[in-house]
Amino acid sequence: DSHIQYERVGADVTMKCGSMDWDAAVTWTANGTDIDESHLNGSYLILKNVDLTQSGQYSCYEGSSWHLKYQTYLRVGTPPKEPVLMCRSNNYPKGFYCSWHLPTPTYIPNSFNISVIHGTREMVCEKDVFPKNRCHIRYVQLFSTVKYKVTLTVTNALGKSSTTLTFDEFAIVKPDPPESVVAKPVPNNPRRLEVSWQNPSSWPDPESFPLKFFLRYRPLILDQWQHVELSDGTSHTITDAYAGKEYIIQVAAKDNDIGTWSDWSVAVHATPWTEEPKHLTTEAQITETTSASTSSFMPPPTTKICDKGAVVGSGAVAVCWTAGLVLAAYGVLFI
Amino acid sequence: MAAADSPSAALRRRDLCSRGIRLAGKMRSDVIDLLDTYVEQQGLDASASVAAVEGVPAAAAERWDEQTGPQRLLENLAAYRAFRALLAQMLEEQREQLGEADAAVGRALAAILLQVSAFAYHLEELLRLESRGVPSEEGAAPPPPPHLSLFERKLRGLGVLRELAQWAVRSARDLRQLAKPSPGSGAAPSPAESP
Repeated sequence: DSHIQYERVGADVTMKCGSMDWDAAVTWTANGTDIDESHLNGSYLILKNVDLTQSGQYSCYEGSSWHLKYQTYLRVGTPPKEPVLMCRSNNYPKGFYCSWHLPTPTYIPNSFNISVIHGTREMVCEKDVFPKNRCHIRYVQLFSTVKYKVTLTVTNALGKSSTTLTFDEFAIVKPDPPESVVAKPVPNNPRRLEVSWQNPSSWPDPESFPLKFFLRYRPLILDQWQHVELSDGTSHTITDAYAGKEYIIQVAAKDNDIGTWSDWSVAVHATPWTEEPKHLTTEAQITETTSASTSSFMPPPTTKICDKGAVVGSGAVAVCWTAGLVLAAYGVLFI
Repeated sequence: MAAADSPSAALRRRDLCSRGIRLAGKMRSDVIDLLDTYVEQQGLDASASVAAVEGVPAAAAERWDEQTGPQRLLENLAAYRAFRALLAQMLEEQREQLGEADAAVGRALAAILLQVSAFAYHLEELLRLESRGVPSEEGAAPPPPPHLSLFERKLRGLGVLRELAQWAVRSARDLRQLAKPSPGSGAAPSPAESP
């Protein structure tokens, strides 16, 4: 009959051919392929310093009759190393979840057992269907100073290992990042960008447990971020954007009072509003057109200069006037 | 006395709640600052786990989301009255200790004691607004200070401050629940919370 055999990487394995005597004539196969006699000691199969590639089905047949006498599935693996465990509450005050993984694979099946103790109370962590290595707990008590102690034990056929996490209720609170971040230019405002977002949908009660936010933004061409912390509201207007530059913007969230900041939201890109040129003309055509249109050189909007190509309008005239007056005044001074 | 549902009462409630929330926030940050100093000054281990201290109201609450408005107010009031007595005791003990560093702790304790008193007053006002009688303090005289060694008193002080910091967080949440516009008289639990 067939069964499974687990062995450590590097171990020496001896397989007996069922109840056959040591001196019986047998043939061993590995995944259907005959094994050379040099690996045999009598009817025993000797595998030295096994590695992962030697996992497979091993069968032993009686010499002449080719009756199958023994079959086993060899699985080479390792005992579990200390697992990595983390617990977090992204849906405070409903509860928290713990998730875990092994730092290195064992190559054989593992089972996980998690225990959660709060003071004298043992709590049940309900395993999630997906993802697999995760369980969640509903808070029975809130605002407790008593710490939670979570112990995860990993066991497989070759050994076991465990790790323990101790924390208090407030420390593990970390919301999910804000959702639906939108950044838009503001018409007629070349230095502004309007950003809005929503509370993460996993946060159950933003009214009683309000979130505060952290916004960061920078033009794509620079490395340094600007930061703004916002204690309420889910929108903000950036007023110091560089004109015409594309920006990258992200938002993070945190409970107003406790816990840590969320990861950054998905990044959004936006470019502030820029004035549309009246004609999309080439250099050659500019010299042919008459004065009424703007030139292809666009002066920065805040500093209207008085030049030949300037738009004739009351504002520009006033500036020209002012400049003229200043020049005249200087002229007077130097007479 | 304005009826609990009248517009002026609702406004006053919101006003008291938002001021209370701000006060709770300030209280918490001051207590946390004091905790750091206290631990250092008293030569304690910050990670010391202090078992539930007798006479210190625990902030921990089961089924917190199911509590009614009046319940929240009464529990908070009982707690802050107890803290008022406990902090006064600590202040007294602090004065007996000498030293410049202790004077700073003493001042911080006195400031927090004032905030606790102010907060208790807010709660009493909110209770009156709910047309609820404010429980008298006569029956609830603070128990005589237990006879403790100096070290035990230090640990007790740590427990008091830690629990007060927890309460400050809870109270802000309680007041936000109270500030929510409630259907009916507020005697029924808010239907918005699903268990």
